[in-house]
Amino acid sequence: MADNLPSEFDVVVIGTGLPESIIASACSRSGQRVLHVDSRNYYGGNWASFSFSGLLSWIKENQEKTDVREDNENWRKLILETEEAISLNKKDNTIQHVEDVCYASQDLAEDVKEAGALPKLPAFGASDTSEAAQESEKECLPVESQSLGTESCETYPESVTCNDLESTTERKDAEMTSEREHLCDATFDQSALETGKTENVSTAKAAALEPKKITYAQIVKEGRRFNIDLVSKLLYSRGLLIDLLTKSNVSRYAEFKNVTRILAFQEGRVEQVPCSRADVFNSKKLTMVEKRMLMKFLTFCLEYEQHPDEYEDYKECTFSEYLKTQKLTANLQHFILHSIAMVSEANSDTIDGLKATKHFLQCLGRYGNTPFLFPLYGQGEIPQCFCRMCAVFGGIYCLRHSVQCLVVDKESGRCKALIDHFGQRISANYFVVEDSYLSEKTCTNVCYRQISRAVLITDQSVLKTDSDQQISILTVPPVERGQPAVRIIELCSSTMTCMRNTYLVHFTCSSTKTAKEDLEPVVRKLFSLNAETERESENGGGLGKPRVLWAVYFNMRDSSGIDRNSYDCLPSNVYVCSGPDCALGNDYAVKQAETFFQEMFPKEDFCPPPPNPEDIIYDGDGTQPEDPGFSSSSNTKTEPSPKESSDGDSCKVSEEHHEE
Amino acid sequence: MSMEDYDFLFKIVLIGNAGVGKTCLVRRFTQGLFPPGQGATIGVDFMIKTVEIKGEKVKLQIWDTAGQERFRSITQSYYRSANALILTYDITCEESFRCLPEWLREIEQYASNKVITVLVGNKIDLAEKREVSKQRAEEFSEAQNMYYLETSAKESDNVEKLFLDLACRLISEARQNTLVNNVASPLPGEGKSISYLTCCNFN
Ligand SMILES: Cc1cc2nc3c(=O)[nH]c(=O)nc-3n(C[C@H](O)[C@H](O)[C@H](O)COP(=O)(O)OP(=O)(O)OC[C@H]3O[C@@H](n4cnc5c(N)ncnc54)[C@H](O)[C@@H]3O)c2cc1C
Ligand SMILES: Nc1nc2c(ncn2[C@@H]2O[C@H](COP(=O)(O)OP(=O)(O)O)[C@@H](O)[C@H]2O)c(=O)[nH]1
Ligand SMILES: [Mg+2]
Repeated sequence: MADNLPSEFDVVVIGTGLPESIIASACSRSGQRVLHVDSRNYYGGNWASFSFSGLLSWIKENQEKTDVREDNENWRKLILETEEAISLNKKDNTIQHVEDVCYASQDLAEDVKEAGALPKLPAFGASDTSEAAQESEKECLPVESQSLGTESCETYPESVTCNDLESTTERKDAEMTSEREHLCDATFDQSALETGKTENVSTAKAAALEPKKITYAQIVKEGRRFNIDLVSKLLYSRGLLIDLLTKSNVSRYAEFKNVTRILAFQEGRVEQVPCSRADVFNSKKLTMVEKRMLMKFLTFCLEYEQHPDEYEDYKECTFSEYLKTQKLTANLQHFILHSIAMVSEANSDTIDGLKATKHFLQCLGRYGNTPFLFPLYGQGEIPQCFCRMCAVFGGIYCLRHSVQCLVVDKESGRCKALIDHFGQRISANYFVVEDSYLSEKTCTNVCYRQISRAVLITDQSVLKTDSDQQISILTVPPVERGQPAVRIIELCSSTMTCMRNTYLVHFTCSSTKTAKEDLEPVVRKLFSLNAETERESENGGGLGKPRVLWAVYFNMRDSSGIDRNSYDCLPSNVYVCSGPDCALGNDYAVKQAETFFQEMFPKEDFCPPPPNPEDIIYDGDGTQPEDPGFSSSSNTKTEPSPKESSDGDSCKVSEEHHEE
Repeated sequence: MSMEDYDFLFKIVLIGNAGVGKTCLVRRFTQGLFPPGQGATIGVDFMIKTVEIKGEKVKLQIWDTAGQERFRSITQSYYRSANALILTYDITCEESFRCLPEWLREIEQYASNKVITVLVGNKIDLAEKREVSKQRAEEFSEAQNMYYLETSAKESDNVEKLFLDLACRLISEARQNTLVNNVASPLPGEGKSISYLTCCNFN
């Protein structure tokens, strides 16, 4: 493209993950000239979502680990004597131990291409695990994850969503469920209709009975219609991200669905947890006495700060110990600890638990009867939405654009420019860089944690109901105390993350080993892997566990909570953003973005609402052309030209007026 | 929103190489201006124009690329909820025509499969500089099953026809799909749904 990139900006942002994208939009919104680049050909970095073929390419890329160190150091010539260079990373090291496995029938796989696929559809080989296993020995994962334990948790500014759930029990109540579905359909179908793009919600009632047989070929063929996330998060309906989306109007670029169910796993069974006042009331599992106890306790939690006497003595205890001292049955304690507060049994103190419970209760009912929202097409849309906002305010976007080095002025110690892969020097006052772009040298003293992830395509829900369009969150408590709990989010096809008659299931926990070692045992508890045989051996059909059709496991670096002083020689005007953290919500990223923005521009408002496009009045003279290219038309009057006439004789045009 | 006075609302999205005249087409149609002042685009997310077609009020929400096409970095989310796409090239620029297959691939990948796509060859006022013949473009659009139109944002040639024809087709499409349009169907407001403590069955 002949288009030239300007060489001077106020802020350069490197990486298009969530915090970087929020910062870019905040800066652009406040009038800064922003350049936003990413070395990849897609938005989001580790926050990205992919079509199925895109995900296969991503997997392959990360398995191959090609050493792309082109030792072209020509850029060094561009550094002056008064300057120093901080070279940036050439390859991404944040993803490890990637293993994909196909369980679905692959008979036709070779003949089928994803509809509308890019020509380079990666060849699929059901990966052989030994390769990855070997790699896992080379890497010192346990060392990296050592800090996982106690102290490092304190580096998290937010602890609300660190979850470590055990199970709770609640029998699903058929009546309530269908009522709720009804409500949800009414609620969310409209947003689907609004754009006419979403497929019909909850059509196949029968699907709960007999799962359709899905082949690998079908998944590939339908692959472009759904989007698979690398991270698995939800939006708390009163969390910082929703607040920011709403305040900045960035929410207009995305659509959301409410999570419909909170599930619990106890004694090998998946059960629905009552998640609203009405649920509690209708619960058949809870006794009348329990219902009263629960309501009383929850009422207290909503205003616990006003009654410090009630918990003063237990401040030093864990929340689970505190719950034991309350008038609550064991059943209710489980329920509150694991499904409402969703805090760690071993590590969360009373205040953490009360705070988390209160947050949950406050989020409930804002948009639906669980506290969570999920963006259509996946979480990967959200950074893009902020990027759009940045661009609307003049930010310049370049994917596939890598940066060779940052240029530091020796005297002032400030970073003054970068040199990109074309050798162009681009200067700016501030530089925002995502952690993975920093070189090993810069990060030698940084101790990273890891996240274990699995993404499954399955053929049935972990808890079947008459509706096949449920969005569920489930936490499986650790078998051993102190181990991480595994968070599971199951998405249905109307979230645009999987094809009809399948589910996309995300597993997440903080790593102790490789993702597969951490997560496969839990996958096996809930799903059947050798589905063909198991299914045939059943004789009722439909009663067995859901089958996994395809799965991928990987470890992702967690670069949250790192003290900037642990990066080597970082100039004060370079800000390092974290990749995705392990928490359920997005508060960490939003806080980080706001903090950095405020450090750079203390006097500026953070993402104020933009003018409503419908309210912008264009007066003909106010928008005089700057470039005199067509002086003939400088008599700018807004009447539509009369010389045009449209075919339909009854088509009339009227100017929009802005009444709102 | 629910109070608003229209029968249909459609989202129309413009794509195509930088410099082909997308912004000018939108400005010409919505404001009757050419060329639009550069600065005025800053902060403008989309433009609105309400037209009346056979007695129906149709509100067109027209989205421009915000310049992200300059370095081929359009976000996928830009395409998501579009009802129609206007794929534009410049008849005086062969390169902008040769890029069309790439644009079509993006559409295929990210846009809804129900989206209506119109191919537009802009800048016909510069006839002497034409590099892409009308016939070639027509053949291409036919092969791709697209509607084709040539325009001049500068001379206001076919600009209104482009948007009004599109609106007509969107209406009939919407009717065919018995797609209940989003008129007066507000999403439920906050706090209307269930919460633990609003009623008083227990105490
Ligand atoms: C970020 C966000 C997501 C929401 N998602 C849903 C949803 O998926 N389903 C639902 O039933 N209710 C959703 N709501 C709630 C619902 O839109 C509002 O409760 C209702 O619109 C309130 O009406 P209002 O006239 O006060 O505000 P409005 O002016 O209608 O909307 C307030 C803000 O929310 C945004 N918004 C409205 N609806 C959505 C939506 N579906 N997706 C994304 N942004 C939206 C608007 O752009 C605006 O910025 C959402 C609200 C927000 C803020
Ligand atoms: N002669 C002529 N020039 C045009 C026409 N439309 C746009 N231009 C010019 O083409 C250039 C790019 O237009 P713009 O709308 O910014 O293109 P965009 O990048 O696709 O949005 C500007 O210099 C316009 O003045 C047209 O119909 N005829
Ligand atoms: Mg433009």
